[in-house]
Amino acid sequence: MKNTPYIYIIGLLFLVSACNLTQEVEIELPEYEDQIMVESYLIPGQPFALLLTQSFSYFAPIPTDNEEYINQLFISDAEVTIRYDDQEIKLENEILFNPFTGKLFNYGAGVLVPENYDSEFELEIKTAEGEIITASTFIPEPIPIDSVVIQFDERDSLARALTYWTDMPNKTNYYRRLFAKGQSDSLEIDFILDDDLTDNGLLLAGTNYDFAVGDTIFNTIYHTTEDYFNFMNSLFNADAANGNPFAQPSSLLSNVEGTDNPLGIFSGLTFDDRRTIIEK
Amino acid sequence: MANVDLSKMKTSNQQPSKITRQRKIMQRLLLLLCCIAFSSLIFGQDQEQFTISGRITEAESGETLIGATILAPQTSQGTTTNEYGFYSISLPARDSVQVIFSYVGFQSAVRTFFLKEDLKLDIELGVGVELNEVVVKANSFKEQLNSTQMSVEKLNMQDVKLLPALLGEVDILKTLQLKPGIPSGAEGRTGLFVRGGAGDQNLIVLDEAVVYNPNHLFGFFSTFNADAVKDLQLFKGGFPSQYGGRLSSVIDVKLKDGNNKKFAGAGGIGLISSRLTLEGPIQKDKSSFIVSGRRTYVDVFTRQVNNANQDNEDFSEIPDYFFYDLNTKVNYQLGEKDRVFLSGYFGRDVFNFDSDFFSFDFNWGNATGTARWNHVFSPKLFSNATATFSDYQYNIRNEVTGFSFEVGSKIRDANFKYDFYYNASDRQTLRFGAQATYHQFEVGRLQAGSEDGEISFSAGQDFDGTEFGAYIQDEWIASDDLTINGGLRVSGFANDGKTYFGIEPRFASKYSINERLSTKLSYARMYQYVHLVSNSGIALPTDVWYPSTQNVKPQVSDQVALGFSYLLGDQFFINNEYYYKWLGNQIDFIDGALLFFNDNLEEEFAFGDGFAYGTELSIEKKEGRLQGWIGYTLALIRKGNFRGVKQDIMEGRYFAPRYDRRHDISVVATYDLSKRWKVSATWVYGSGDLAWLPSGRITFQDIYGSEFKPIVPVFGDRNTFRLPAYHRLDLGVVLKFFPKWGESDLTLSVYNAYDRRNPYFIFLEPEFQAIDAGNELIQVPDRIVAKQQSLFPILPSVTWNFKF
Repeated sequence: MKNTPYIYIIGLLFLVSACNLTQEVEIELPEYEDQIMVESYLIPGQPFALLLTQSFSYFAPIPTDNEEYINQLFISDAEVTIRYDDQEIKLENEILFNPFTGKLFNYGAGVLVPENYDSEFELEIKTAEGEIITASTFIPEPIPIDSVVIQFDERDSLARALTYWTDMPNKTNYYRRLFAKGQSDSLEIDFILDDDLTDNGLLLAGTNYDFAVGDTIFNTIYHTTEDYFNFMNSLFNADAANGNPFAQPSSLLSNVEGTDNPLGIFSGLTFDDRRTIIEK
Repeated sequence: MANVDLSKMKTSNQQPSKITRQRKIMQRLLLLLCCIAFSSLIFGQDQEQFTISGRITEAESGETLIGATILAPQTSQGTTTNEYGFYSISLPARDSVQVIFSYVGFQSAVRTFFLKEDLKLDIELGVGVELNEVVVKANSFKEQLNSTQMSVEKLNMQDVKLLPALLGEVDILKTLQLKPGIPSGAEGRTGLFVRGGAGDQNLIVLDEAVVYNPNHLFGFFSTFNADAVKDLQLFKGGFPSQYGGRLSSVIDVKLKDGNNKKFAGAGGIGLISSRLTLEGPIQKDKSSFIVSGRRTYVDVFTRQVNNANQDNEDFSEIPDYFFYDLNTKVNYQLGEKDRVFLSGYFGRDVFNFDSDFFSFDFNWGNATGTARWNHVFSPKLFSNATATFSDYQYNIRNEVTGFSFEVGSKIRDANFKYDFYYNASDRQTLRFGAQATYHQFEVGRLQAGSEDGEISFSAGQDFDGTEFGAYIQDEWIASDDLTINGGLRVSGFANDGKTYFGIEPRFASKYSINERLSTKLSYARMYQYVHLVSNSGIALPTDVWYPSTQNVKPQVSDQVALGFSYLLGDQFFINNEYYYKWLGNQIDFIDGALLFFNDNLEEEFAFGDGFAYGTELSIEKKEGRLQGWIGYTLALIRKGNFRGVKQDIMEGRYFAPRYDRRHDISVVATYDLSKRWKVSATWVYGSGDLAWLPSGRITFQDIYGSEFKPIVPVFGDRNTFRLPAYHRLDLGVVLKFFPKWGESDLTLSVYNAYDRRNPYFIFLEPEFQAIDAGNELIQVPDRIVAKQQSLFPILPSVTWNFKF
């Protein structure tokens, strides 16, 4: 919302691009040393899984072959261990595809993440080259969606969805809100927020009047850690800065540590989601 | 003493040694000041002297003339009028004392009299004829040559109006960017980054009231209407003691007082705006008024387009946008010794969008008010008491059925200052005074919620603080060749139980090597107690002003400058300056800073230091049919050592800000073809600005429900990519008409005459292909290309101007 005028300005910029004001140029970017990228989310009830990939210099050639692309991207033969309480989970190097979530991991264990909201989870990765990467996190308690309210406009033709949930008191909570229409992964709204945006504990995320009777909508509210919030905020900033002269880029605020400056996020998450069919 | 532990002294001397060094510098400067004051007693007048004082005004309008020259050729003594048109000069008693009063573009006045007592002499200067102008303009170069003030740029409003302008909108801040040492921030923008200073380190005062945001339309136009401006000076260094509160420059804009002889008007109709200025006497020769306004009218056309497309479902409504300025001023001569002025400025940008279910209103702007009282205590002592009010705020209001959202920020000042100007002797002039400013800040005010009150949230911080300062400055003509200007400013800021003090020595000197060559040296320390919170590197209306607090220390700078001025013949003036600036307590945002809806903004700050150095060379020609200047700047800026509560910036390493422009060249020329035709051209060249581009990329899968992100940029060190060089030629033609009722002209401007594609920013664009990942197709990048976005192609414009 705060960026609306700038969006018009950017729109104007691209409008003037009709005057041939945009042109392809050859540039040389600063030198870059490849880094290891870690992605692992501990979601109770889902298997322990981790995606270990390689970053590349921005203009590095991109393989057009599917297998070559995957081979170049994935890092194999690392020892991945997650410890919590007195448990030690070894994640094997194998391709795991979750057809329900549509997500792919290259390390996993056939063990489900427990509902241990008071435990600290520690990650340790030893790569084949001997680099050690560590991180720790916890699983935030689940916060349910209170309700999804459908409201029609004055013309009674289009509807909007208002999703309510109640903040957990006595600590700062961080959330990610996802909203999709039609298919659960056809994302329309995606943002992060913290509970500064409530005075009385009731939080709300809305939509525009965009939906007709019969549409199916998907609301998901993730309860996240502060590390995840900071990482996603920096990632959104980094993503948005490309092509927006008003935005300030950001380096990725990772919570993984290692000798070769690895990137990534290791975080516990819980979520609640609602599927709603628009009715009068 | 015998038990002093030397090792402890060594380990603890890092910071104290710096402070001790600074104290020693200050002690020496204070000693110098005392010497100057004492010297005036030693070199007391050995011959009876009398003082001539008064005001110099323009004959046609009664406007006071700032910086007019008063010269007594028999004794080679001289002075200039101060910013209120007042002068005071002490001369030995004698018969047939000759005094010449002159000002650029005006016919000189010569008075001869028997000086046997103090004399009050108000002078009116009329527009010169060509012969006299030659002399007067040469004199103005001599004034520059002999002044201790270095690192200053002045603009003549007549010259500004002759130069080509973007969309025909005459802009004094953009004209300042053509001067050496003042690079702009980006294409078409009004930002000023003076000698390595950030955009918020410029003190911009309009009739002595601070203007916090001098921009319209996100910085593409400035708030100053050239029709209402009388005088503008920009100080880049060697700051006079009366100025304080910003590190890098002072831009002092004086509005016209209004014609006290006759009713007059001026205005213009341009492509995007029109303007009108009316002025005249309230009581002839005693009081006058001026009202000046400007408004853009693009919204008038866009509304018509919207109306015409009301039934077109595919049409996206164009939001309303306009800005306007209103300047007013009245003044009244109460008697021989007193004059009062009231002036005000009000300007707003309004951006508005309304639909059936959604309304969005975004407005921002400044308001200033000034009340001044000039009083002449005696021929030697002049005073000016000023009360000012400044307000800058932005407000965003957004309504969606049943819900509202309001966000805004504000800074509001009430200021009082009292300045004195004392002609102590024929060799010594003192200025002293004091000021206090009460600031109110609203930072990130947010109020949002539903109409039924079920949902509500608010955020924001309120602060107030008091800034104060007192100063003294003594200009001492030590000999025919050497003039020394020493000063001291003591400043402070109190907020929430914390008080900061700043001791700000100022020093400037001029030594004449010969009649054509002088060398100048200056030193100035500046403190800045209020800071602009800006994350974009480009000034935006949503940037907020933040006070010094317990954790946010005042910014500080020390600048030394050495300069050489040379008068080449009677037509050319060459100036070369070298400067070095140390910057302390600089503020920047950490990566991923949360700027909105944040009740603890200070956690997002990091504090560091920096330095800047460079040289500026200019050659100027002010007479003849061809006039103009060529300026060149070679500069370097680094900032670093940024430490924050949450994180450091680049682990404390130094980096160059975006506006670190190594080379900057400007060529400005105007040529009088005839009385009716004038042509002008400006050409600028600058090394490309820096950009923070990604060096790497990751593939980010993200969580369930989100989108796969095949390319996420990885940003490394800040600002390591230099954009291609910027250069542009602008051309202007002015065709004057002389109808019976006054004057008018058609001004044709061609911006970017050779249609150069200058880089506004670079972006990286991946091209995708679909690959099979299990049972679905996902988009993966195939190729990444870099693209350059330019902003303005060749842009011709025409403006019709008139005056009567």
